[in-house]
Amino acid sequence: MIRAFVSGMRIHVVQFSRNPFDLSGVFLWPILYASIAYYLLDAKNDPRLLLAASLGAAVMLMWSLVVIGSSNALENQRWLGTLELLVAAPVPFAVVIAPICVASGFVGGYGIAATLAWGRLIYHVPLSIDHPVAFAVALPACILAIGMLGLVMASTFVLYRAAFSLGIALQYPVWIATGLLVPLSTLPAFVRWIGWFLGPYWGFRAIRESALGSAPWPDIGMCIAVSAAYFVVGTLCLRVFVRVARARGSLKLT
Amino acid sequence: MNDLCRTYRTHVGIVRRRRTDVQALGGISFEVGRGELFGLLGPNGAGKTTTIKILTTLLLPSSGSARVLGFDPAREAGEVRRRVGHVFGGDRGLYDRLSALDNLRYFADLYRVPVREKRARIESLLELVGLKGRERERVETYSRGMRQRLHIARGLLHDPEVLFLDEPTIGLDPVGAREVRETIGGLRDQGKTILLTTHYMYEADELCQRLAVIAGGVFVATGTPAELKARVLDRTVIEIEAFGVSEAVLERLRALPGVISVSTEQRDQAEVVLVQSSVGSELTHALLRELEGTTLGKVIAREPTLEDAYVELVQTA
Repeated sequence: MIRAFVSGMRIHVVQFSRNPFDLSGVFLWPILYASIAYYLLDAKNDPRLLLAASLGAAVMLMWSLVVIGSSNALENQRWLGTLELLVAAPVPFAVVIAPICVASGFVGGYGIAATLAWGRLIYHVPLSIDHPVAFAVALPACILAIGMLGLVMASTFVLYRAAFSLGIALQYPVWIATGLLVPLSTLPAFVRWIGWFLGPYWGFRAIRESALGSAPWPDIGMCIAVSAAYFVVGTLCLRVFVRVARARGSLKLT
Repeated sequence: MNDLCRTYRTHVGIVRRRRTDVQALGGISFEVGRGELFGLLGPNGAGKTTTIKILTTLLLPSSGSARVLGFDPAREAGEVRRRVGHVFGGDRGLYDRLSALDNLRYFADLYRVPVREKRARIESLLELVGLKGRERERVETYSRGMRQRLHIARGLLHDPEVLFLDEPTIGLDPVGAREVRETIGGLRDQGKTILLTTHYMYEADELCQRLAVIAGGVFVATGTPAELKARVLDRTVIEIEAFGVSEAVLERLRALPGVISVSTEQRDQAEVVLVQSSVGSELTHALLRELEGTTLGKVIAREPTLEDAYVELVQTA
């Protein structure tokens, strides 16, 4: 199963890297997101706030890359006619789908690094990390949390044909509910509750806390906890939704 | 398979949703022995692919039951998936931007081919399907025939006990189709159990040990190719090349004494009227009289083939 997982990640990264359109987006988006961080908050005179805004923009990009990447990859499976073959493989379907999400997560990890690098290069965003070790752990924990949330979303993509549209639609609510776009304190209390169930919320907190001070480890722990929960929920959802798709006969539909 | 049924449900309308049920399989039962190459013959929409998808765990039946090597594909999907391979015809089902080698490596990992055997297995399959030397090229540069042969290699990666081939030669040129048929014949000779669907009669005749003709989701006949042909051996077939034959003229031909069936088919630019009649009845003159005023080409009288048996079975279903 580990071999199938690693092989799946490799295949999806290679497949992704051979689409010039997707690749150009991955190079351009970090510049756009770094610019959003710089101009939206207008925090030129507060280096720590500027760094926080850059990190927020980087996590926003990461979520976009994961949700769009995995939904696009799954819709592609339908168009390529490989979805049925993946469902018919003897390994559990979660092991087939999870690499797509985690591979998108790694592309998202690159997105974080690129956004911060462009912010540093173009807008001179300071990159002073208070807890480098925690930051090094927080980054993969964030990738995992967001990738596994992608897995839960991916289960619905198996059921619905318009996976890509659904992926696009899911971008913005998660940005808002996790406080990446606007501070959660400005939103109604129930939105905060929603945010607590979302991986990007804990991923952003883990990265921000490890870069800017106080106590990052509880948030890193939460990243791992929600990832495990997502894996369980995603696996169960995939099992149920694949059965529903087999009953409906919708796996080959494009 | 025992009395297997499958109904698809579709909905139309947005505000007032109307449900439509379409029956794809109306209760079919059959058995395939180990090492046998069994053919499912039928026109488009007859239920061939639905049957294969149920047996390969991709679809759940609406009712009835099936067993593959003793396992229920609906409830024991994992056990079935480990033991069967399936190959769908057509262009789809491969990662186009990757090489054939990458495709095979990925599916070998998904199908749990042991690491130690993976390389040798891929090499031998590339050899078997004639893609050795081209395996590092991207699949998007492959011809349809090459893709189809790659499909077969993918389906055989985990050395399945049972192989399902769903119209494996569809859309191939004659040379490509012959190569695929040779590959399938080789697998049959190795003792693989194969369920093949096709609507090419000569393919079924050449490859299958037993056949079932399926139309409208039900079996209309089963038997060996020779047994099916025997159903029409008491007949003669007259082929008349004609241009622009109306339905009224065809009805007049059907009404002639001694005529068993009349059908038409398009061959290149010409329409061919196929008339099946009892052996011994001399109908050519009567047929030509009824076709007076129609531009005619060649007229041939011949012995019936499996295709004639098939057309007869499907038309009377």
